[in-house]
Amino acid sequence: MTDELSAEEAIEPPPPDGIPQPQQHFRSRFGGLKGAIAPLLTTILAFFMGGLVVLLTGKNPIRVYKAVWDGTGLNWFVHVGHHSARVPFGTAHMWFPWDTASIAAQNLQQTLLVTTPIILTGLAVAFAFRCGMFNIGGQGQYFAGTIFAVWFGSSFNGMAPLLHVLLCLVVGTIAGAVWAGIAGILKATVGAHEVISTIMLNWIAIWVGSYLFGQGGPLQNSAQKSIPISNDIFDGAKLPVFWGLKLLQGLSIGIFIALAMLVVYWIVINRTTLGFEVRAVGFNPEAARYGGVSVARNYFLAMAISGAFAGLAGAVDITGWEYRIGQNDIQLGGSSGIGFIGLAAALLGRNTTLGVGFASLLFGALINGTSGRQLDPSIFRPDLAGNLTTIIQGLVILFVGLNLGGVWVWLKRRRRA
Amino acid sequence: MNAVAARLGGIGWTHPRTIGILGIVLGALAFWLALPPLASRTAALPVAIGILAVAAGIWTFSRDERRVGGGAIAAGLLGIAFGVLATRSSSTHLDEVVVWSALGAATLRYATPLIYAAIGGLFCERSGVINVALEGMLLTGAFFGIWGAIWAQSWAGSAAWLVGVGSAALAGMVLATVHAIWAIHLKVDQIISGFALNFLALGITGYLFIDKYGDTGTPGDVPGIPDVHIHFLQNWYFVGPIIGQLNLMIWLSFVLLVGTYILVFRTPFGLRLRAVGEHPRAADTVGISVYKVRYVAVIASGAIAAMGGAYLSIGFVHSFNEGMTNGTGFIGLAALVFGKWRPFPTWGATLLFGFSSALADRLPNAYGNQWGTLFQALPYLLTLVAVAGVIGRSIGPAAAGRPYEKQ
Amino acid sequence: MPEGALLELRGITKRFPGVLANDNVSFELRAGEVHALLGENGAGKSTLMNILYGLYTPDEGEIFLHGRPIDLGSTRAAIEHGIGMVHQHFMLIPVMTVAENIVLATEPRRAGVLMDYDAARRRVRELSERYGLLVDPDARIDRTSVGQQQRVEILKALYRGAEILILDEPTAVLTPQEAKELFEIIRSLTGQGKSIIFISHKLNEVLEVADRVTTLRRGVVVDTIDAEGATEEGLARMMVGREVLLRVDKKPSQPEGALLQVEHLSVVDDRGLEMVRDVSFEVRAGEILGVAGVDANGQSELIDAIAGLRHVSAGRIVVDGRDMTNADAKDTLDAGIGHIPEDRHRRGLVLPFSLTENLALHAYRHAPNSRRGLLNPRVMTARARKLLSEFDVRGGAPATPAFALSGGNQQKVVLAREIDGDPKVLIAAQPTRGLDVGAIEFVHRRLVEQRDAGRAVLLVSLELEEILSLSDRILVIYEGRIVGEFPPSATEEELGLAMTGGRAAA
Repeated sequence: MTDELSAEEAIEPPPPDGIPQPQQHFRSRFGGLKGAIAPLLTTILAFFMGGLVVLLTGKNPIRVYKAVWDGTGLNWFVHVGHHSARVPFGTAHMWFPWDTASIAAQNLQQTLLVTTPIILTGLAVAFAFRCGMFNIGGQGQYFAGTIFAVWFGSSFNGMAPLLHVLLCLVVGTIAGAVWAGIAGILKATVGAHEVISTIMLNWIAIWVGSYLFGQGGPLQNSAQKSIPISNDIFDGAKLPVFWGLKLLQGLSIGIFIALAMLVVYWIVINRTTLGFEVRAVGFNPEAARYGGVSVARNYFLAMAISGAFAGLAGAVDITGWEYRIGQNDIQLGGSSGIGFIGLAAALLGRNTTLGVGFASLLFGALINGTSGRQLDPSIFRPDLAGNLTTIIQGLVILFVGLNLGGVWVWLKRRRRA
Repeated sequence: MNAVAARLGGIGWTHPRTIGILGIVLGALAFWLALPPLASRTAALPVAIGILAVAAGIWTFSRDERRVGGGAIAAGLLGIAFGVLATRSSSTHLDEVVVWSALGAATLRYATPLIYAAIGGLFCERSGVINVALEGMLLTGAFFGIWGAIWAQSWAGSAAWLVGVGSAALAGMVLATVHAIWAIHLKVDQIISGFALNFLALGITGYLFIDKYGDTGTPGDVPGIPDVHIHFLQNWYFVGPIIGQLNLMIWLSFVLLVGTYILVFRTPFGLRLRAVGEHPRAADTVGISVYKVRYVAVIASGAIAAMGGAYLSIGFVHSFNEGMTNGTGFIGLAALVFGKWRPFPTWGATLLFGFSSALADRLPNAYGNQWGTLFQALPYLLTLVAVAGVIGRSIGPAAAGRPYEKQ
Repeated sequence: MPEGALLELRGITKRFPGVLANDNVSFELRAGEVHALLGENGAGKSTLMNILYGLYTPDEGEIFLHGRPIDLGSTRAAIEHGIGMVHQHFMLIPVMTVAENIVLATEPRRAGVLMDYDAARRRVRELSERYGLLVDPDARIDRTSVGQQQRVEILKALYRGAEILILDEPTAVLTPQEAKELFEIIRSLTGQGKSIIFISHKLNEVLEVADRVTTLRRGVVVDTIDAEGATEEGLARMMVGREVLLRVDKKPSQPEGALLQVEHLSVVDDRGLEMVRDVSFEVRAGEILGVAGVDANGQSELIDAIAGLRHVSAGRIVVDGRDMTNADAKDTLDAGIGHIPEDRHRRGLVLPFSLTENLALHAYRHAPNSRRGLLNPRVMTARARKLLSEFDVRGGAPATPAFALSGGNQQKVVLAREIDGDPKVLIAAQPTRGLDVGAIEFVHRRLVEQRDAGRAVLLVSLELEEILSLSDRILVIYEGRIVGEFPPSATEEELGLAMTGGRAAA
């Protein structure tokens, strides 16, 4: 800020809620390599404090983290050698520097499976955030996606496979968009705060889902009436698995859908008139309005697109490896489900394409590495480790807020000003 | 007191508001008539009364008492719908579900953690700090309540529950203090910090629970918060079974409710609290310390919400499980929004939500599991409708969510 | 010290980064007088009063009360010394009652802990009767009129024992009727020994209500004179100053057909008050029409209505023959309106956006900047580079975020964007606010160029010099009405009189 500007502000008293020029920090926190420093520090701090918790309860944090690391499968990249790999979607084999069938490889497949929906729910939060809104409802939109994907996937037996899986993905995406769109419409028309309405929509989705798949529910398993779980989707509605065994939850091409969506996100935000409007509204709705942009329309659209990402996450999970959904899964999702992890990923990734991608991988690896299937129970109880993951997520959000806080507050000020 | 008298005296019996309230009562009546013990079997009765209710509602609505009028219309329609449904159900089914005294007692049990959470949220949000961490505070209270009680069992004997409640409140305050520092001094977005605390609470209580009680669960003989037996009441018709034997924390919640009303609306502190939440700059210009009021409110919020958690673990279910609150804190938040950040309407909302939980519990007896489950969505749906402004907009404290910058 | 001086400010200097808001200001308030503080926007009146109310600390100078030096480090200290302030933007809590607002932080108590509402009500009633400030203690603030809210603010100060009342532009938000009532109240207050500092830039009011007048110009005291015997012309001269800093070279205008016609326009603001009342005018191609007026006399609402940002309650707006009444902002812009908004930070620019993006804030939706919803960054950047050099924007490349520029260069970006849109009508609201001399000259020259290029320019400004040096015709707006049309040869005194509701307006 130059003297000229401060002069203007100083003659009359500064606006009542004047905030000391946080704009200066804006670019350094959002752009380039420098932007990665704060999230990295945040992560290190969170892991350090998580380690303290482990230490305080009498375990060795270094051994614990090592075991978690091994469980993530990320160590796979380190083991380079002479191996052969099946050509994807073919039968031929070719030389490959890594062993695609090792334990580490299997672990990595799991990690990437978990990472997939986190990327998508992370994008959901990021997109709404770019329009100045906080979409807390990723979880509910994710469930909307899973419910519709399961429903359509377990119907239409005998449909052409490609068509069937596409149908599932599309209806899941639309379901998520509609679910978030409700919050968007409420914000655009009556100004209802999106945080309250998306929280409510989350729980409505959770209980409706529990109802649908619970005992006697309309979508409950038709063969086993006593188990609160959905029907399995038909094979035609399943995404192809390209790495690992389908029976052992190999990696489906869902990860490519997620990666493609990262690209789509980047293009929509940076290269389309829609993204231009969304960002303008997010930064300064008043100036956007003066530029002829419809603020209400963008609130609705941004929310619906945000929900579409989350709905797609649910559909990809169903068609990619879950194939069914249980009442139990839905109820557990209420407090720490994929939607909320997406929130952490978006915050840590600062709503940038690369940031969301890497943060999602971090959380995906952490969740997988601490899961009962991966973690060696002789070193650390997996159920303890699962909670450690939750603690680390909490700490990440807490500390990431510290940096982002100024910017976000400033955004809000701009919005109210 | 004069205000109450004035208000009572000021009721005009043909005032739109009065008619509207009458409409709401009629709507409820339409449903009630079809239920035991009266159990009218003709659909005509609830329909007729329901139509009256809707008519009253429309009349009220057209006279610009939109909120009450809308409420009466909704009550009338719901009354007709449920009333007709009830007359279509077999009376044995109805008798199984609608046992008023049992429903009443269950309603209070379910409503109690909600009212603690909501009152906690009320203090926090009235001061201008959004609290989406109620869920985490409740959970923290639930864990540390039972942990404290077990810890004190050996030396405090039958009073161990007191230690439990105390440690719950303390743990809630610690959590709330983090929220306060983040929201007030560090000016971090309050929703982000609230959600972070929910995660932390879930992780920490889960971690400690597994670490301490993971193999066997919490012991079966946890010293619980005692029930209050009022012997002469217990034999009274209807009310006896409901309030003759209630947990101490439920009675305490009534005291808390009235106390909160008095504190927030009848004392200088309350006036300052609300001023800070509505217009901190105005409060500052007359010499009120905005930061101090907010710290007090946020930390009190943590203590109160955590006490609700303690009720949940050592007053109600007598055990702890990972993530046992499962959304209770959010229903509390919903009740606060639904009750428009005022103590008694919020209490009404918790009773309504508690009733829906109680009904959800009993519906499976006759109608199968799934309806009870679907019923759990009702509080959230109602709150969504409330924020959407269909029946009178719910608007919170004006400065909520905005950090205050001193000049 | 002169006899009867209750409060004295001596040699007050207050600097803000880059500006001297108050330069060695001395000011003296006698017991029981109404002392008007007169000056243009930005003359330093509010800074001085904020110092007096403990909101700012002066860099130099001393404050004396009853001849003793006092330290006003906080508002609380000011209140304790009997100084009360009625802010221009009221410090009232809308959802609370009048009584609650008045007693806040000094509440009467019952039984030690409870609020004594009866006592609060009683005291409010006593005060309100004593000073003739009629209010209903139980009315909620958001259901009372602005005039009543102002009374509540005054009562708030009196309740805290204020002997000195600072009224900061108290009539800016009042209707003429309410303003008359306020003057009655002021007389009643001084009749009971209170002293009042009355901040204003409306000359007729100052003469009506004040005993003495101190005029500030650019942070310096021009003079203190008795109101009796003073004339509006004399005050206007003191307030505005004689020297004209800027001269714009321009040829006489060659106006052609009307490009903007405003017919019987009425506009209501957010509070439901009619801010523009039956306004009619036209702006012709090739002329600059200046609208002069004191702040908050309906200028913002008028501009917003023309730009499609505010609903028109009556009347018509015609742009180049097309009826654009109540069209939305996008269509209005597309119909040929260019708009330089009055607050470039809030409305003109998206500060975190790059200059490229800011320059494309309207044009992004048209080819070649975008096709079928896809932006073409290369075209946008090329366009930005061209405009940045054409408009001599310094300190920024196309990728630089707008907040990194100085105010003058930021305004050039806005100007470039609006002019490049090839508008038929260019609305310039306060286009040089807060700019340095060089930037002002630049903006002025560009506006004249646009006129000569055959556009219709509507210039709305609070700066008389600007209006006088640029306009081909001048309208004066006062309380939402056009109260007169002047040629550019009009004197500042003439305009000043009309702007302040003086005789010329009648």
